[in-house]
Amino acid sequence: MDRKDIKKWFKEPGKMGHKYSLWAVYFCTGCGIIEVPPVITSRWDAERFGVIPVATPRQANLFLITGYVSVKTLKAIIRTYEQMPEPKYTVGFGSCPINGGMYWDSYNTIKHLDKYIPIDGWIAGCMPRPEAIFIAVTHLWTLIDKGMATAHIKYREKYKYYRENQEKVLKGLDWPPLYPIEDSND
Amino acid sequence: MIIVAKIFEIILPPILAFIIGIFFIGLFRKIMARIHWRYGPPIIQPFLDLIKLFHQKGFSHGPLFDLGLILSLAGSMVLILFIPFGGMCALGNSGGLLVILYIMLFAPLGIALSGGEGANPNISIGISRKLIIALGYEVSFLLVLLTLMTYYKTISIVDIVNAQSNFHWALFSPLFLSGIAYLMILPAILGIRPFDVVGAPQEISSGPTAEYGGRFLALFHIWHAFSLFIGIALFVDLFLGGGSNPVTFFMKMVVVFVLVTFIHAVFPRLRTEQAVRYLWRWPTAISLLGLLLVQIIK
Amino acid sequence: MISALKKELESAFKNIQIVIPEDNRLTITAPKDTVLTILSFLKDKGYDHLALISCTDWIEEKEFELVYIINSYGEKISIILKSRISRENPQFITTIPVFENAEPYEREIHELYGINFEGHPRLTPLFLEREYEIPPFRKDFDTRKYVEEFFDEIPFVEENK
Repeated sequence: MDRKDIKKWFKEPGKMGHKYSLWAVYFCTGCGIIEVPPVITSRWDAERFGVIPVATPRQANLFLITGYVSVKTLKAIIRTYEQMPEPKYTVGFGSCPINGGMYWDSYNTIKHLDKYIPIDGWIAGCMPRPEAIFIAVTHLWTLIDKGMATAHIKYREKYKYYRENQEKVLKGLDWPPLYPIEDSND
Repeated sequence: MIIVAKIFEIILPPILAFIIGIFFIGLFRKIMARIHWRYGPPIIQPFLDLIKLFHQKGFSHGPLFDLGLILSLAGSMVLILFIPFGGMCALGNSGGLLVILYIMLFAPLGIALSGGEGANPNISIGISRKLIIALGYEVSFLLVLLTLMTYYKTISIVDIVNAQSNFHWALFSPLFLSGIAYLMILPAILGIRPFDVVGAPQEISSGPTAEYGGRFLALFHIWHAFSLFIGIALFVDLFLGGGSNPVTFFMKMVVVFVLVTFIHAVFPRLRTEQAVRYLWRWPTAISLLGLLLVQIIK
Repeated sequence: MISALKKELESAFKNIQIVIPEDNRLTITAPKDTVLTILSFLKDKGYDHLALISCTDWIEEKEFELVYIINSYGEKISIILKSRISRENPQFITTIPVFENAEPYEREIHELYGINFEGHPRLTPLFLEREYEIPPFRKDFDTRKYVEEFFDEIPFVEENK
């Protein structure tokens, strides 16, 4: 950890700040949330990495989507994701957001979460162990260092396609688009 | 030369208060972690949080949203100039204890103003809890200050500090009952357990800070650092003799803060009506007894 | 205790079969027009806790089977009442006049199996977000085909350039 490298703090304070204080929204999506309290409490301490759970998405940096996502939960996830201030990082947790996991042929779950919100990285497992979560956090630090954690920029640029996908799955979105959508001449 | 010294006396205390307050927040998290048998973040972690928060793009709900927060921050900064810090006190000759009583209530009102603009019911619930608890401890606080004013026959804090030099601390004189009462309401003034129902993350999604993101939350953290500094500095000045130079003052503040952290680690959280019931019973009774004792002795 | 109940039921109603599999359980199979009368008869006797209403899809016999599970706290006996309805245009009558807490169970069965309950005040969707042509819990609903047709047709965002 290069937390003590003072020269880097002076050159790019924003990046270093985002690395070493990731605040996670405490949104308990699916069955994977059972692995998060052991990570936060005494045995596997997440606070030494700078990761603490916060109560509202307005104060948060990091969104962990744990477990399977049903269609009703997708509505809540999209609303939570759009409330977070930029820059924000999302991590898919478990094998269900990756490709459907155990519920790959179910009539009501989302198979590939990548089509609806942009995701920085995935953690495989069912459920992943706390050590895997810490490896993911250090991977995210490396990505932020190299400037490759650009999920929120992709959401802003390709918002038209994300919104189309969201409208196809949910019956009707009763909130206006987050970024203005120009009509392209199709 | 005197003007330069005066300007120095006005600018330096808020900066030092900010650094000491942030250091206290970090020390708080580290001590709590060690009590829980885990390692905890580094002590400079709140500085890193502040750097991150200033680089985030927060949403603003309107002009009053920013102005309310700046009002409460300004109130706290002005209050620091009235409290002697080591040997320095910029506005020590005007007002003293009476001014402290009034300006201490700027902060919750400022946050209430900005919370009214962010239309979230959680903010209103959090602010109403804060004001109700303020109603609870203001009674005992006023009695303690009245006892001090009667004993030392002055309203200026600088005179009170000078009367306690050479280890004639107020805590070991006939004012010890008032000192104990002040220690009992100190957690309520600082907003820590058992009285931290104001910003309960589990119940009302962190109360007054529910809609703050980015730079607003950074300003709120700075305000929190200032309010920690003010609460403890007032206690050290009034009952533990202040300090002849900033270093001894800082040492005394660290001792009081560690004691308060241990109280936070042990107790659960009281509900609002339980907290007010407690604050109107025991500290009020003890401070009344202290006032009677001082009257009898005089 | 339980055999006395069996004799009372057999004398009061015709066309029902009663089986006692264990010491404190009773299984009644009844035709569908007598379900409400049996339920109110049992409720007057003290069996006033409706635990669950469930449904089974017998696709070869072309029938649905509704299962009511009723308990009594005083005598600690649980009763299972089964009745069959046809699969072509499934209709049944609601049991809310007898047990008021049957409302969410009947709403769930309507949404997932397609059985219409007459007299139910609120048959709106409970869990699902979309309309399905065949209700999803029936045995002729092919889940893999549905997933291929609906979910896999939505394109990834990278492919839209």
